[in-house]
Amino acid sequence: MNSDEQIDASDERSLDELFVRYRQACPDVDPDPNFMPVLWQKIEARHSFWFTFVRFGRGALTASAAVCLLLVVLNLASTPQVMASYTDAILAETSAEQTYYTEAIHPNTVPDGIALPPQK
Amino acid sequence: MLVEQDLIEKARGGDSSAFNQVVLAYRRRILGTISRLIGRPEDVEDVAQEVFVRLYYSFEQLRTAEVFEPWLYRLTVNAAYDYLRRSKRRNESRMADLSEQQVMLADSQAGSRREDDDRQKGQVREFMDSLLRHVSEEDRLLLTLKEVEGLSLKELERIYNINENALKVRLFRARQRVLKAHKTALASGTL
Repeated sequence: MNSDEQIDASDERSLDELFVRYRQACPDVDPDPNFMPVLWQKIEARHSFWFTFVRFGRGALTASAAVCLLLVVLNLASTPQVMASYTDAILAETSAEQTYYTEAIHPNTVPDGIALPPQK
Repeated sequence: MLVEQDLIEKARGGDSSAFNQVVLAYRRRILGTISRLIGRPEDVEDVAQEVFVRLYYSFEQLRTAEVFEPWLYRLTVNAAYDYLRRSKRRNESRMADLSEQQVMLADSQAGSRREDDDRQKGQVREFMDSLLRHVSEEDRLLLTLKEVEGLSLKELERIYNINENALKVRLFRARQRVLKAHKTALASGTL
């Protein structure tokens, strides 16, 4: 065994002894007479908080469910428009006014070979 | 076990009287352990009560009464660790104001008013606490449970839920750091 190892071994022993002394130096803690009452107060307080939290959570859940239900009902109420066919939708978009406007933009556009009537 | 398994089962089932008896049986041990883990006597009761509040609200999660003690130790270690983490900033500012020597000197001066025995014990506690500051909070708790509380590796394995080899490595490294600090302190003649 070299000198370094001897020093390490003695340090290990010294540390072990220190741990033992530390254990002996730590006083035993006697519980306060109010330990149990205070403990039950804390348990009750947390219980109250938890109870309030759960109640609030349930309320929020119920409100969310009601809103979802309302949205579903509103969505179902507007079903006829949604269910219209594609051609119905196109027809509804293409009004007479739009057609007239389109023609007015191109007054001289006629098929080839057809003469325009003389201007009055 | 300090109580019968039946009592644990009753407490687990929601029996307040049984829970009360379990607390009465274990509170002294838990107070002692917490006192050595956190090193602040004024907060020991608060942390111990936190342990038992957590026990009350998580009792249903206990699988069997046989694993009650390691489970209670786990709750204790977690509560102590949470406390240390919360008060870390406070400790840092306290230690920033005073060097280790100043803290020891202040303790020594305060101790001169007490009996010699108490003064020596106070110095040992201060010195050990200063050595344990060289490891992380997690390792400090682990080392204290092993070296001061005297828990076996098997018990620690059940508390921490990690295998024995990993525990050995962690303990070895933590001990080496404390040993190094101890050597330095001895060389400088601190104690």
